[in-house]
Amino acid sequence: MMDLFRLVGTGGVIAYRALFNWATPAMFVGTLLVGPLFQLLFFAYLGRQLQVADDRFYIVGNAVLAASLACVFGGTMAVSNERRFGTLGHVLLSPRSRTAVFLGRVLPYAGNGLLIAVSTLTAASLLLGLRIPLSALPGLLLILAVAALSCGFFGLALGAVGLRLRDVWLVSNVAVALLLLLTGVNVPATDLPTGMRVAGQLLPITHAAEAARRLAAGDSLAVAAIPLAAEAAVALAYALLAATLLKLFEAESRRHASLDTL
Amino acid sequence: MSEIAIEAAGLRRTYRSRIGWFRPQRREVEAVRGVDLTVGNGELFGLLGPNGAGKTTTIKLLNTLLIPTAGTARICGYDVVRQTREVRRRIGYVFGGDRGLYDRLSARDNLRYFAELYGVPGREQKRRIAELLELVRLDGREHERVEGYSRGMRQRLHIARGLLHRPRVLFLDEPSIGVDPVAARELRQTVADLAAAGTTVLLTTHYMAEADELCDRIAVIAGGLIQALGTPAELRHHADGRRVLEVEAYGVNDARLSAIHTLPGVRQAGLEVVGAAQVLTVQSDAGIDVQADVLRELAGVRLGRVTARQPTLEDAYVAIVNRVEQRSAAEAVPV
Repeated sequence: MMDLFRLVGTGGVIAYRALFNWATPAMFVGTLLVGPLFQLLFFAYLGRQLQVADDRFYIVGNAVLAASLACVFGGTMAVSNERRFGTLGHVLLSPRSRTAVFLGRVLPYAGNGLLIAVSTLTAASLLLGLRIPLSALPGLLLILAVAALSCGFFGLALGAVGLRLRDVWLVSNVAVALLLLLTGVNVPATDLPTGMRVAGQLLPITHAAEAARRLAAGDSLAVAAIPLAAEAAVALAYALLAATLLKLFEAESRRHASLDTL
Repeated sequence: MSEIAIEAAGLRRTYRSRIGWFRPQRREVEAVRGVDLTVGNGELFGLLGPNGAGKTTTIKLLNTLLIPTAGTARICGYDVVRQTREVRRRIGYVFGGDRGLYDRLSARDNLRYFAELYGVPGREQKRRIAELLELVRLDGREHERVEGYSRGMRQRLHIARGLLHRPRVLFLDEPSIGVDPVAARELRQTVADLAAAGTTVLLTTHYMAEADELCDRIAVIAGGLIQALGTPAELRHHADGRRVLEVEAYGVNDARLSAIHTLPGVRQAGLEVVGAAQVLTVQSDAGIDVQADVLRELAGVRLGRVTARQPTLEDAYVAIVNRVEQRSAAEAVPV
């Protein structure tokens, strides 16, 4: 059991350092901390101008969304960068559980996403003067953690798809744009056409943003528990999807030589 | 413990590919067409062959990365298709080239990560990594990022990675490719030491001298089939009854080479560029001295050293591979 924890924990952290393209301080601060904050400010001021919703709607929603960039792209890099370094074959030759190897890789990215979401929320609240009840903070932290994990598994599933595609970044870029559009973070879900609203329910962030808004509005954790549970279910579904795709593609690669294993 | 480390019987692998979506064109390539192989425990076995002969595919079939289209293979008695986890615990895989390592990590962190992947117990990792860094002479440089390593250093790190979990069978796929002569010599020494310590090694290489120096037995694979198998001394017999003439030249063209091919007694003629010069190698029947005829065909070409010598392993290898190519060409001619 200890060996399994080491594989997931130590292995995950080393893999993060090996495979995450934005781990340098300049890239981290610029892309993951400053970028999402400016995006949040943009939508908050746009919302004020158009009077669609109040600051809380945009600050909380975009803070949850801020976790997605590191997690979705990180999850993708956690798998598809193996092709770039030519290390996929050596990973596939491991006798250890694939599920543990790859799902363990998501944890550092989820931690990363949580850090970004918290810092974005803090900075935006200070800049725009949003007051969040102190009692809501532990619950908010839990929601942001679940959202980050959900995005990480979503990214891992995209990364698995990327094993078969020549350009995985196309998929990740489209996925991030869809999160912006469909999760109700910047456009209230009630204003979206039915199809888009339903699609949004199946994506990470949607339920977490709703839960976080309820807590920030002063509701109890019990009220936020339903959307939080929905977000956790989405996370679990993407974790299962990622594990299944990775197993499937590995088995297919052995039969059809379909992966760049070297 | 089984006496046999690697056994393959009737191993075949066909690659199928499809090009285009609207009018897809399907292609089939038979990379391995029935390989039979047995390698004993502790043996250092060479697999030689030209590019595209099926060497890497054979290794990928043996190390579980690919499933054979037909035939069976076992490593230390475990089936490579059904008992992959058991096989993977017992094998190491090293290939040549710059890729296959995490460039942003140090050598030590690369080894730490693969130690986790290959199931080296936590309490043993630190000692094992230190041992291997010393073995491949990277101690002192282990904290540097791999992106700054030379080809030779990377290659040594590949070997250390392949040995982390003390594999009983080590696959070395062209490990010395692109490595400078000093590093290549060190690498050969490391491989020889491993075999001496009881590790079974399956080595593919294009360097005949390397195979000759290291291997207990060698198989020559071409066209997806084992064409010859034996000790280096036994393989040299494939060039028996021949003599070899080597001519250093500057400006031999295809027409002259073709003319040399047709000279009486000439079995083979090949041209290799070495620096600014060309080296023309002509294999002929031992009883016929073709030197005068060859030099006549080269009239007007600037020449350097001319040497007549006994055939080497490389000449035997060339003879085997050319025989296969000639047979394939003959079969391809429409009747």
